[in-house]
Amino acid sequence: MKKTTYILFTILIIISSCKNDDETTTETFGTVVLDFKNTIKTNGIELITDLYTNSSNEVYNISELKYIISNVVLIQANGEEFTYPVDRSYFLVNEEVLDSKKIKLSDIKTGEYTKIRFGIGVDQSKYPLNGMANFIPTAEENAMLWSWSAGYIFLKFEGSYTANDGANTDFLIHIGSHGTTLDNYKQITLDLPETLVIQESKSPEIAINVDVEKIFDGPNTHSLEQKNSIQVDPEFSPKIAENIGDMFNAVSISN
Amino acid sequence: MKLLLYSVIILIGASCSSDKDNYIPIENINLEFTVPSNFPKPTYKMALNPPTEKGFELGKKLFYDGRLASDGVVSCGFCHIQDFAFTHHTHIVSHGVNGALGTRNAQPLHNMAFMKEFTWDGATMHLDLQPIIPITAAVEMNETFNSILQKLEEQPEYVKLFAEAFEDQKINTDNLLKALSQFMVMMVSANSKYDKIERNEGSVFTKEEEAGFELFKTKCASCHKGTLFTDQSYRNNGLPIDSLYNDIGRKRVTGLAEDIYKFKVPSLRNIELTFPYMHDGRLKTLSDVLDHYSNGIENSETLDPILKQNDTLGISMTPQEKQYIISFLKTLTDDDFLNDNRFSEF
Repeated sequence: MKKTTYILFTILIIISSCKNDDETTTETFGTVVLDFKNTIKTNGIELITDLYTNSSNEVYNISELKYIISNVVLIQANGEEFTYPVDRSYFLVNEEVLDSKKIKLSDIKTGEYTKIRFGIGVDQSKYPLNGMANFIPTAEENAMLWSWSAGYIFLKFEGSYTANDGANTDFLIHIGSHGTTLDNYKQITLDLPETLVIQESKSPEIAINVDVEKIFDGPNTHSLEQKNSIQVDPEFSPKIAENIGDMFNAVSISN
Repeated sequence: MKLLLYSVIILIGASCSSDKDNYIPIENINLEFTVPSNFPKPTYKMALNPPTEKGFELGKKLFYDGRLASDGVVSCGFCHIQDFAFTHHTHIVSHGVNGALGTRNAQPLHNMAFMKEFTWDGATMHLDLQPIIPITAAVEMNETFNSILQKLEEQPEYVKLFAEAFEDQKINTDNLLKALSQFMVMMVSANSKYDKIERNEGSVFTKEEEAGFELFKTKCASCHKGTLFTDQSYRNNGLPIDSLYNDIGRKRVTGLAEDIYKFKVPSLRNIELTFPYMHDGRLKTLSDVLDHYSNGIENSETLDPILKQNDTLGISMTPQEKQYIISFLKTLTDDDFLNDNRFSEF
């Protein structure tokens, strides 16, 4: 009799544990699209053809604009965070490629969010192989790796401008971290203009305005006259990195 | 009764697991990484990429595979040859695809689990990222990761090994670099005569070696510090500027004027075999190296102050003293490591 009880008991335990394993949790997931719009004075930029003027009165055009967005986190009003899976959280935004400017994130925990946080560039202070290396082929195709170093280029901004002597001169700005001596990775948190509601079967969009002018005229003013080629530049690259951190704004939500 | 109980459990267990995918766990044993008792703690975070039997096997296969290069020939092992502590024996600078020449001397591979930064100028702060440089450099392996991954996907052997070595079973950049690291962190050279003496394992220095060791401590050890024989700093050691390469050294990484012509202080382990010497392989013998330090130092703004004490350039050493120091340096040769089959291509 005792043994039979044991058996029944064992069966019960095993069946119940079995069930627990197979039952999915009650959490549900939805998607969101981050829509990056690179603008100058709120108008979308036109590569090569359009001319712009910075606060140093330099007239320039843009031939290339690319940057890396990483480590996306959505934040609820109570401060609770949803971290997008780190190994999938690296994206390249390329002005030239329409698709690249719309980043679709799936498997976001349903709920209401009021803030978004993301990185510009790659956080090299963390252990690098949390999926970060799987971004290498993309970075490679887009020439966002420094060839002599194992580092990523976080932002590439190139074009030409009319220098003071009237000559048309190329400019080139490549921002990344400099080994362990200078970390130009920036994380920014944006307030959402209204509450983002993530639901199953819906795909809301967050429109993010990227004010490209800020590269020259942000917290720091940079004139191309000062320097028109910035790569591994310990003096100017941190200033421009700070400007870059200031150019993103969440402007609207379409729930 | 007992039989009934067992069969019930088995049945339930079976039905339980059959709900899951047909996952057959592959035996992939963790490799033991032993820190030699005379060594510091490793800098490499083993827990985040624990070396396993299959990961190591995969890493080794990749290390010796020309598929990682655009010409299918120049593997990692092409320039890093075990018999010479994984250096490119007698080659002044590394050789790449289609006979291309690099600008720097291939460094030995050993004790990488204990190093903070990699390459002559510290362009990589993590071992897992180091292979990106030689793989993508036009004058070295000149390949792209996209192309490598495609090539590997076509090889059933690799499909199998990646699946066995990593939980997600994928052929991707992350796993490729992790496997290479698993192979490389196991390369510990800690069984030289010097080690056996330091660990009191019964070996003793000859009189010359002993004299050399005493001289070494006062004349060399401020930079070639500790058991790793490097303080891992970057210094300008007074080499005349080579107009062919005009290699600016660490300045390329930091952009700082104060870092011009500085290179990483190399470890001296297995130094007897890693000739030629210096970042550009310009010095052929250990004797040439010591002559450089005694008589060849060229002054410049970033010259290391240690080499410019009391307004005198260089480190004073008599020919006799140099001989003693060289005798000592040869006690850093680790034959066990150089002949360790685990790391051999064949």
